[in-house]
Amino acid sequence: MIEGLDPAIHTPKRLAAMAVLANAPSVSFRFLKDFMQISDSDLSKHMSALEQAGYVSIHKSGRGRGATTTFALTSQGRAAYTAHRDALRALLDGPHVV
Amino acid sequence: MSDEHDLDPRVALDELERAEAAPYVSYPATPWWHFPLMGLWVAAMIGVFTWWRENVALFVGGIAVLIAVEAGYLSWLMRSHGALPLPGRGTPPREIAPVWRGYFVGVVAVVAAVALVWWLAGVPVAAATAFVLVTGGLAEYDRRYERAAARTRARLGIAGRS
Repeated sequence: MIEGLDPAIHTPKRLAAMAVLANAPSVSFRFLKDFMQISDSDLSKHMSALEQAGYVSIHKSGRGRGATTTFALTSQGRAAYTAHRDALRALLDGPHVV
Repeated sequence: MSDEHDLDPRVALDELERAEAAPYVSYPATPWWHFPLMGLWVAAMIGVFTWWRENVALFVGGIAVLIAVEAGYLSWLMRSHGALPLPGRGTPPREIAPVWRGYFVGVVAVVAAVALVWWLAGVPVAAATAFVLVTGGLAEYDRRYERAAARTRARLGIAGRS
């Protein structure tokens, strides 16, 4: 892994989820699933990994068909996302050694 | 969207820009009644000031009810949107940022116009003026926002929502 890039969020799906979460106070399960076009189980797996890393908080409300799950970025997650984004930009903007 | 690690920073940043833009440009169509409802809410907020000196309990109660109604409506709006962006939380796409700036300029202009009418003609006329300006202003803002969002969706290849 290149220095500055966070392995916990470097996969495209997790990075996309973090990017969406960085731009709204809370994001519904359905919104993320529709945008990322992935299955419920795949999204759950990635969001659980982000929660375990301390980057995302998960809120569940209601029961049965009316139940909703929303995600929010933690302050630790926001810092990690910003650092990862900056590292990607630095890779693109930095000097290239031939 | 794949599970593969992609170390090409340009590809990763393109994907990142697309995902960052999603909350701003992927949303359900605004219902027609949203604009007059907001106009009515602001007019009612001004209208309760008729009780300012006559009946403090009615005045305070009216303000409390209106704030509760707005909080409930905002909560519904956030649930229906799924990822409602708010100013100061994130980076709007370059097409959206000027529309947001225009919104805040518009808010200042409407507040100034309503304050002037209030001073010149009193609370009922100010409330009626606020209803017209807020309803029309929000409808115009929505039209401009949708045009900017459509340009962003086209640039980044994001599907809209109905």
